[in-house]
Amino acid sequence: MKNRILAGALALALGAIPACAQSLEDLNIQIHGYAAQGFLYTTQNNVFSTNSSTGSPAWTEAVVNMTAQPTPKLSVGVQARYFLLGNFGNAINMDWAQADYKFNEKFGVRFGKVKTPMGLLNETQDIDPSYIWSLLPQDVYGILSRNSFLAHYGGVAYGTLAVGNTKAKVDWRLFGGQTVESPNDPNIQLGQQSSGIALPNGWTGPMWGATLRIKPTRSFMFGASDQIFVTTWTAVATHGTESGTNGTPASQNYYYYAKYEKNKVMIAGEYFRQPYSYWYTFPTDPALNSTGRLDQRAWYGMASYKLTDKLTVGVYDTQAFDHQQALNPARYNKDWTLSGRYDFNQYLYAKAEQHFIAGTFVDYDASKNPNGLQPSTRLTILKMGVTF
Amino acid sequence: MKKLLYAILLVASATVFVARAQAQVLVIANPGVNVSEVSKNDLIDVFTGSSTSIKGTRVMPVLLAESLSHERFLREYIGKSDVPFRSAWRSLVLSGQAVMPRSLPNDAAVVQFVANNAGAIGYIGESTPHADVKVLVVK
Repeated sequence: MKNRILAGALALALGAIPACAQSLEDLNIQIHGYAAQGFLYTTQNNVFSTNSSTGSPAWTEAVVNMTAQPTPKLSVGVQARYFLLGNFGNAINMDWAQADYKFNEKFGVRFGKVKTPMGLLNETQDIDPSYIWSLLPQDVYGILSRNSFLAHYGGVAYGTLAVGNTKAKVDWRLFGGQTVESPNDPNIQLGQQSSGIALPNGWTGPMWGATLRIKPTRSFMFGASDQIFVTTWTAVATHGTESGTNGTPASQNYYYYAKYEKNKVMIAGEYFRQPYSYWYTFPTDPALNSTGRLDQRAWYGMASYKLTDKLTVGVYDTQAFDHQQALNPARYNKDWTLSGRYDFNQYLYAKAEQHFIAGTFVDYDASKNPNGLQPSTRLTILKMGVTF
Repeated sequence: MKKLLYAILLVASATVFVARAQAQVLVIANPGVNVSEVSKNDLIDVFTGSSTSIKGTRVMPVLLAESLSHERFLREYIGKSDVPFRSAWRSLVLSGQAVMPRSLPNDAAVVQFVANNAGAIGYIGESTPHADVKVLVVK
């Protein structure tokens, strides 16, 4: 299915180019990207499968993106990424590859492997140069679960509607297709670590959703997103030599958010809920059968201020709870963060960030914390990036 | 000696004054663009990637490389400096939501491109020859 979607996008792009372009110059081919290197240091726990308690530079990302515009309404593009964080990644993947046709302001479509337009920050959560933070609020935009939410194989329909003669606008998005998580996905690997159960084929299944963003003024926006998994998903599960099934019934993820941004000030907030249940069945070893339920509810509030053209400072508070967990630090995660970003010029930037974390609900790699998890952690991040 | 210093100061001031005068910007468009004026809000929308049309007419923005005209345009009409302006565009580009507008090296290149490309809209210094394009009034 996903190969057919990608082939369709590629065919549309290649078919349009000779029909419309007289030269390469006409195609407006552009190449952009960025590279960023991070350094992590923690008191107490090791985070993100790194040896952060002794200082870790194991956080590198690089993105290269090529786009072309064969006609004013048609654009095509592809983006590749290298990502390393502790024991995860260390591979080059395709972020997205799409053909986008914009009929007019009210209606456009894109298909291929496309960014999923959910929440306030999902479409830019992996674009480090686009925001002040070294780490987005992990309770809503977890770096280890990024691949699960970032993009899907399918399409997005989008548009912007004016509201009468006012300055207000409404942005709408409908999206649908297939979500794919590889067996190397950090989420799946951490799950395997804690349960001993592997998903050798990863996770895949259909989903669709919608996003609505209302902008009464240029400075203020509020919106909501809903992602729906309409059918039961199942995946092959293995435990040693035993083979079984991992399943989850139809469920939904919800996002509600608002943002105010004017001149030097930005204030935003978001609420996220992810309720779902799951089961494992192993016909040949029923002792491995299990069921479970998560009801993650998370929120954050953030603010930033541009002190000068080059220096921006910010703060956020984020909290997450799993209402199905027992009352202990594994039920929650709370994180106060102070952040700063300095732009040397339009290409080079640096970030510094201090986190004050309580709780262990957000993913930790048990193999990096053999003595068990402490209930609180301080995390310091330094990051340098170059964008072009 | 004093007179020489005053003369140098006078010439330097005049040079800066002339340079600043040249940086008065005009918003120009291809003659086929079916509007003669544009609101500041519409201009911001087009040059920040929020919109690709003005009053129902599809337009294609082009940018100037760093220059006095570019800085003046951003300051007067967009309300951002160059770094956050280009950073915002890269966010759109790197998330697959837009294609980066062409960035041209000087005013003459902008005039030539706008004159020869349907829907093109750009900005130049006031003193740049621009006979083949139309000037949009910004309300």
